[in-house]
Amino acid sequence: MTDTIAHAQILDTELERPRLTGQLAETWKTESGLWGALSTVDHKIIGRRYITTAFVFLLLGGVLAILMRLQLAGPEQRLIGPDRYNQIFTIHGANMMFLFAVPVMEAMGVYLVPLMVGTRNIAFPRLNAFSYWMFLAGGLVLWISFALDMGPDVGWFAYVPLSGPQYAPGKRADIWAQMITFTEVAALAVAVEIVVTVFKQRAPGMSLDRIPLFVWAMLVTSFVVIMAMPAIMVASTSLILDRLVGTHFFNPAEGGDVLLWQHLFWFFGHPEVYIIFIPAVGMVSTLVATFSRRPVYGYLALVVALIGTGILAFGLWVHHMFTTGLPRLGESFFTAPSMAIAIPSGVQIFCWIATLWEGRPVFKTPLLFVIGFIVTFVIGGLTGVMVASVPFDTQVHDTYFVVAHFHYVLIGGAVFPLLGAVYYWFPKFTGRMMSERLGRWAFGLIFIGFHATFFPMHILGLEGMPRRVYTYQPDLPWHGLNLFASASAVVLAAGFLVFFIDVVMSARSGNLAGDNPWDAPTLEWATSSPPPAYNFAHMPVVSGAHPLWEQPGALNVADGLHTDRREVLVTAITTAAPQARESSPQNSIWPLLTAIATSIMLIWSIFSPWAVVWGSIPIAITLIGWFWPKGTPEDEA
Amino acid sequence: MRIVVSLVCIVTLCGCQREERQLRLDPPTAAALDGIALMPNKIGGAPPQIYFALDRPYETNAYNLSQGKRLYTWFGCKGCHGDGQGGIGPSFLDGWWYYGPETVSIFASIRDGRPHGMPAFRDKMTSEQIWQLAGYVQTIGAYSAKTAAPSRNDDKQTRPAENRAPAAILFNEGPTPVHPDQGPQP
Repeated sequence: MTDTIAHAQILDTELERPRLTGQLAETWKTESGLWGALSTVDHKIIGRRYITTAFVFLLLGGVLAILMRLQLAGPEQRLIGPDRYNQIFTIHGANMMFLFAVPVMEAMGVYLVPLMVGTRNIAFPRLNAFSYWMFLAGGLVLWISFALDMGPDVGWFAYVPLSGPQYAPGKRADIWAQMITFTEVAALAVAVEIVVTVFKQRAPGMSLDRIPLFVWAMLVTSFVVIMAMPAIMVASTSLILDRLVGTHFFNPAEGGDVLLWQHLFWFFGHPEVYIIFIPAVGMVSTLVATFSRRPVYGYLALVVALIGTGILAFGLWVHHMFTTGLPRLGESFFTAPSMAIAIPSGVQIFCWIATLWEGRPVFKTPLLFVIGFIVTFVIGGLTGVMVASVPFDTQVHDTYFVVAHFHYVLIGGAVFPLLGAVYYWFPKFTGRMMSERLGRWAFGLIFIGFHATFFPMHILGLEGMPRRVYTYQPDLPWHGLNLFASASAVVLAAGFLVFFIDVVMSARSGNLAGDNPWDAPTLEWATSSPPPAYNFAHMPVVSGAHPLWEQPGALNVADGLHTDRREVLVTAITTAAPQARESSPQNSIWPLLTAIATSIMLIWSIFSPWAVVWGSIPIAITLIGWFWPKGTPEDEA
Repeated sequence: MRIVVSLVCIVTLCGCQREERQLRLDPPTAAALDGIALMPNKIGGAPPQIYFALDRPYETNAYNLSQGKRLYTWFGCKGCHGDGQGGIGPSFLDGWWYYGPETVSIFASIRDGRPHGMPAFRDKMTSEQIWQLAGYVQTIGAYSAKTAAPSRNDDKQTRPAENRAPAAILFNEGPTPVHPDQGPQP
């Protein structure tokens, strides 16, 4: 094995097409069977796993949401007790943010970015495998602890002192804090991979102004992840230290600071919203262009808006803390970017409308979800501008108005585009089309169910109904709207059920899609559906932002890569001129073993600080195995 | 597969006990908790049957122990016993129990009072609260830390928190015992 790698010398120029694809398939293949599944580093297999797992978590979190709606359907219901309810709303929030929304967006990037930039695998493929296993372990920690009646019950934000050592007995808050560590490690790993893939592995000719907008969005998101996530890891680790070994980060009596928690949390927590939202707008830009049959209007403006959103995302965390008694000047200062972030969002909305206006829109299911997104997100954005104003926010803080607002921006702003994107890319993932008829049903039920569920919550909030209450008294005027919202939630759930049925049925027996069923312009449609293990037989060469529209029929390609070892083409960061042939790692079981060792250490460290000492030994062993020199020759320039 | 399922079930059962939060006891359960059988000298005895039926929740359950810690402050235990290091009243932290280390003895001490100044809390607290407090007081003097023990409070720190096993630290401090009556072995 080592021998063949060391003496890689068969170039793709020397081979005829059938022998070339045969040899590439052999070089890049994932063995069948359990061992192959556990050791694969193929970004498509890992991406598909990631997406599927995230949707399973969406389903589980949705069940919790339905349980909460059933409990709140009437006053003084006895379906769920207060303690269980606390766990349910915490796990619903933590699950949806950390185990569904962020991972699913990163997973779409893991699958699509290498294809869209025309390379054969993501950068650091083993890290990618590690990332998935860490994410899976984090999800299992949260849900198994819930099954054991020790699920976190401190809210998805886990404010101290309520999550601190004095007021959160047991290990529930620690489970939350450590679940954060799992998902943050996973997210940071993917972010690094995507940054490197986008900067160094683009197809020759794909200069910065020709990068697909979804790839731009994933790039900006990855930078936001890299800058935001360390804050929460510091916060959650400090919390565990406070709780387990009695440090005083958040103990005011010993010089700690309670408000520090909120600053650290929201310095991550607000960019988190944009980590979810920016990929979604990247998807929308892609879908709008394809279904309007024209290049998207204002490419430059859209890219600048993405970057602007990413930067402003770090300037408005304090608007979550307007009622904590901050200085007036601070409040005003953070009101300004909170309102200013509406500008890049507005720019994008107008660009999309202009694209649709000037194009010949084809109203397939993906575009329906885009329309649903624009309507819903604009409403959510308007309430966002409302709560950015301090006096209004003081009135509605911790009420159902805020619940309505963030479900509008998160479901409207991210889940609608995501569902559209699933309908759009499903043929690429599986080779089969999803049902147009069921898709329209799913869209209709989800759109109507969503608005009927969440719009009344604005009114409930204005009427003073607080968040996170497990029940309310019969003499309060909230009964009717709550019952209506609960009934509508059933419609919303039915819509998701239709969607899931459509996914399962289409994956088994949908119509065959062909390479490019939507006549879309970006590179992922240049290969077969689903793509072969090596993605592209020859490296595509692009000369515009829409290669498949500009070079219909056949793409220009570059050759000169070895076929008997895994090689990717490294290109320059701005011009994407070819620079080097870089080897890409083989399949390996070590990422899984490292993830298992890391998981054991992280979970053990909830119970004993010594876990960090003894638990790091297996991690060191697995890392040594992972990086053991393979005798691979140096990369060729 | 069967092994995995049965393992999950076992873990589930253990987990349930340790972290469960019984916010309101059934009235018959609450009443039965009062029925301890003490030895004639009022030291040691048997907790009521229900105590074992509930699987000794006041010694191992994190929520009950933490409730006990709050009751310790709320009912003025600190006035005599300090933060566990003693004062007018005896210390708990040294792990030396005048009436034995069993929870049922501590329950009896709190409920009925003891000579030389320990008042009875029979009419001030419910039986459940007394059990919670007794479990917590026992934890203060535990020789090895319980994982379910409470952590530090958001106050000035005068000693390591309960989950750091301070009693064990005190025992290992050296040749001179902390408590004069304690002797070389607890």
